[in-house]
Amino acid sequence: MVDLLVVGAGLTGLAAALRASELGLKVKVIAKGHGALYWSSGSIDVLGYVDSTQPAVERPWERIADLGAEHPYRRLGAERVRRAVEWFAGQEGVRSLGYAGNEAHNQLLPTPAGAWRPTYLAPAGQRAGERADLRPLVVVGLQGMRDFYPHLIARNLQLQGQTVRAVQIPWSVVSEQRDRNTAQLAECLDDPQAQQRLAGALQLVVQPGERVGLPAILGRHAHPAVLALLGEQLGSPVFEIPTLPPNVPGIRLAAVLRQQLQQRGVRVEIGMEGVGFRAQAGEIQWVESATSARPLVHRARTFLLATGGVLGGGFDSDHTGRFWETLFDLPLTVPQERQHWFRPHFLDPRGQPALHGGVAVDVHGQPVDAQGRVVYTNLWAAGSALAGTDPVLERSMEGVALASAVAAAERIAGLSPG
Amino acid sequence: MKQMTADLLVIGGGSTGTGVAWDAALRGLRVVLVERRDLTHGTTGRYHGLLHSGGRYAVKDPQSALECIEENRILRRTHTHCIEDTSGFFVVTPEDEGDYPARFQAACTKVGIPCTEVPLREAFRREPLLNPRISRVFEVPDGAADSFLATHATAQAARQAGAQILVYHEVVALLTAGGEGDRRVVGAQVRDVVRDELIRIEASITVNAGGAWAGKLAATAGISVRVIPGKGVMVAVNHRLVNTVVNRCKMPADGDILVPVHTVAIIGTTDERVADPERFGIEPWEVALMLSEGDKLVPGLSRARILRAWAGVRPLYQEGYSGDSRDVTRALALLDHRQRDGVSGFLTITGGKWTTFRLMAEKTVDKACAQLGIDRACQTASTPVPGVEQGHYWLGHRLHEVEEAQLQGDLVCECELVTRAMVEQAAVNNPTVTLDDLRRDVRLGMGPCQGGFCTFRAAGILQELRAAPGAAESAEAEWSVAYLHSPRHHLQHRPVTLAPSHKALDNPNLLLRDFLQERWRGLTPVLWGRQLKQERLDELIYLGIMNIDHLPPDSDRSPLTEFWQQGAQEGEVSDG
Repeated sequence: MVDLLVVGAGLTGLAAALRASELGLKVKVIAKGHGALYWSSGSIDVLGYVDSTQPAVERPWERIADLGAEHPYRRLGAERVRRAVEWFAGQEGVRSLGYAGNEAHNQLLPTPAGAWRPTYLAPAGQRAGERADLRPLVVVGLQGMRDFYPHLIARNLQLQGQTVRAVQIPWSVVSEQRDRNTAQLAECLDDPQAQQRLAGALQLVVQPGERVGLPAILGRHAHPAVLALLGEQLGSPVFEIPTLPPNVPGIRLAAVLRQQLQQRGVRVEIGMEGVGFRAQAGEIQWVESATSARPLVHRARTFLLATGGVLGGGFDSDHTGRFWETLFDLPLTVPQERQHWFRPHFLDPRGQPALHGGVAVDVHGQPVDAQGRVVYTNLWAAGSALAGTDPVLERSMEGVALASAVAAAERIAGLSPG
Repeated sequence: MKQMTADLLVIGGGSTGTGVAWDAALRGLRVVLVERRDLTHGTTGRYHGLLHSGGRYAVKDPQSALECIEENRILRRTHTHCIEDTSGFFVVTPEDEGDYPARFQAACTKVGIPCTEVPLREAFRREPLLNPRISRVFEVPDGAADSFLATHATAQAARQAGAQILVYHEVVALLTAGGEGDRRVVGAQVRDVVRDELIRIEASITVNAGGAWAGKLAATAGISVRVIPGKGVMVAVNHRLVNTVVNRCKMPADGDILVPVHTVAIIGTTDERVADPERFGIEPWEVALMLSEGDKLVPGLSRARILRAWAGVRPLYQEGYSGDSRDVTRALALLDHRQRDGVSGFLTITGGKWTTFRLMAEKTVDKACAQLGIDRACQTASTPVPGVEQGHYWLGHRLHEVEEAQLQGDLVCECELVTRAMVEQAAVNNPTVTLDDLRRDVRLGMGPCQGGFCTFRAAGILQELRAAPGAAESAEAEWSVAYLHSPRHHLQHRPVTLAPSHKALDNPNLLLRDFLQERWRGLTPVLWGRQLKQERLDELIYLGIMNIDHLPPDSDRSPLTEFWQQGAQEGEVSDG
């Protein structure tokens, strides 16, 4: 029996497991899949927009007070959110990827559509794309790559006053095989010969004084080496721009966090979906998982729900208007009538009501019912499953994940008899 | 103002209008066709894709049934590659008792529709998901039709015969001449929507093939045509639940047809009279009805992943009729306004259904020729459109070609197996103004992710086409619309740069936004479960990764912007 069973292996689950383990708890993680990290840009968004019609947030800590009272950040307070993000940045694996920020300011990085995107911490591989840097940009793509379009990026950045040009280099520089997604292309660039070919091709197109933006495929395992090699051979700062999913920077982040957990002896079982549980006298006894071979029962003293919201599969819904949390059937704040779920416009700046709701929790992060009573005495919830925020709309997904995960882990450890 | 003259001006770029243009051009007339948006933007592009055998109408409307079976046989020859030879079942569920099956068989025999009873064991072997409580199954020669491809192929045939097809050309008003007792329509004033130019088109005969919009059009010449807009709601399921068209063997009603269309199945439809063909919603009860009726054909259909819901508006017509739209005849209606209203030079063709579009065109052009004093016989029944040599399309045709030519790395839309070259060729050679046009051309974004990945890719590719300097010369001469759906064929052609006339493509951000909005409209009526999860991933992509809600504004409006905004504000219009 473990002290804490974490269900979910996205950023929330991994961070909670790591923090709880640091604090001396025996932890296990089970999850259906890898979580949203594999899709997202790999940077740590804390708070990009309070109101999507207004310019991006510049100093996230100062704007937390402007969020709704139900927001997880309001419950935790700016200081605890900030401490959680700092704790994350100090982790050994995270440091190896060079995550850094701008002294309490958001930084603006180019997106694959050519917009500027506010984020708080970015890996070293993305930092040189920053808007505040006034040097010109050259965005280099691979001819025929379906998930990255340098001309679109350049066109839109140019409209926003950036000096930028777009260039394509042959696909064969990276791979002889056409059918490769971003993760596979990144693995191709783990090969030193491919790295040299890329450096050679870039030398032909990059002009002095330019910063060089490339699709985020600069090595899966050898990323720091690829960055260093290109920077050295070109004499120019090189950076990655995220792509359509899968996004390699997120995969790298998941990998270093899991490696750290492994070193601490924490098991992370992917492919093990929580499908059932037993509770007695308001206390959860075990969670059952489905695997290919047999059902398994996972007993623990405490449980953390980190399955994400709709995207992570933590919530499901059907045509009758039912919207439910898939493991513990916790009460959700989502409107229970379908006609209230969505607004007529996809890009409505207020977001979609169905995606704003979630699991309501008390001050300690424990799920509560509509009357505010704790549902299970030994259950916590964190991350995108929480009510009171639409983290995709706010660009706060990683911040909410880290802050609520660390808070839950600390609370659980604080209550622990050991 | 720019001027054009023609023998025949056809208004409307749906199946009927393109059919008229094709027929008339084959008879040697000088033809201009104008369509206010893209070909098949109206009802043609929003129907379930059933090639009728006539079985559905055999009992109730034998005249329509007869037209259907005759046209069914002809279209299999002239539009072979636009049709999948699925065959069709009429099934008797426990709710369909009574003497209808006997009447159905007798009526099919009388009309000449081949109809054989299939032993249950055989029927369930072919369609294992069918409701096991079905007691009888009849087979008729129904099929599945790709109305997008068929209309493009017909338009191509019309062009080859000399017709001019002008899309994004909207009629401002019909031109009339003469006074009381001698009024005539002499053409139309038309606006080129993309270039914002007015054009005066003079024609000896003007054909109103505006479908559900035909009444509005006739009204600009002071003529009253009361088209009864009958809204039909359809729902697409992400699996091809059946390989055969399945109909309930009973009087036609709501939700009793299940059509396999490419990789999905479509359940339809309703028939609700609406006031305006452009402003109506898809109501939750309509979706619920499709799902519960669908369960009677394939139990569990309502729990399948639903991709999309949309509605088309049938242009039903019955002179002097004012009752329920379900009971209006499906027969075609050709109005000679000289006879009917004392206005010469003007014909309205309406009613009917996709299966009978060629016949509708034939009757219309017969009448036009008679009025012009030309004696030339219709040739369309014996003239195949380009591409028939490919044979009937089949479920695996794209996958087969992609695998054979190893094009996996070039897929822009993995759901519908659309390659980069297909997008490029369609964008260059078909008059593409929006990403939605590309969807109709090559099925971009029609699959499970509903544009999640391919919307961005298409916008990126179009931007590349515009930006790439010194690209190869035009491949227009060798490109054929007949191969719009063939990944292998497109491999042989080199990409080309876009002509400067593609003004709307200067606005990639509008293209992105409008197409995402267009997909959203069809998703929201059916957004739950796994499809909602998919939609959330699309949000993560477009908001979280791309930040497209904070892209710089484009200078212009897309021709569709207004349309979508209107739809969103005043009720929902959607299409497949």
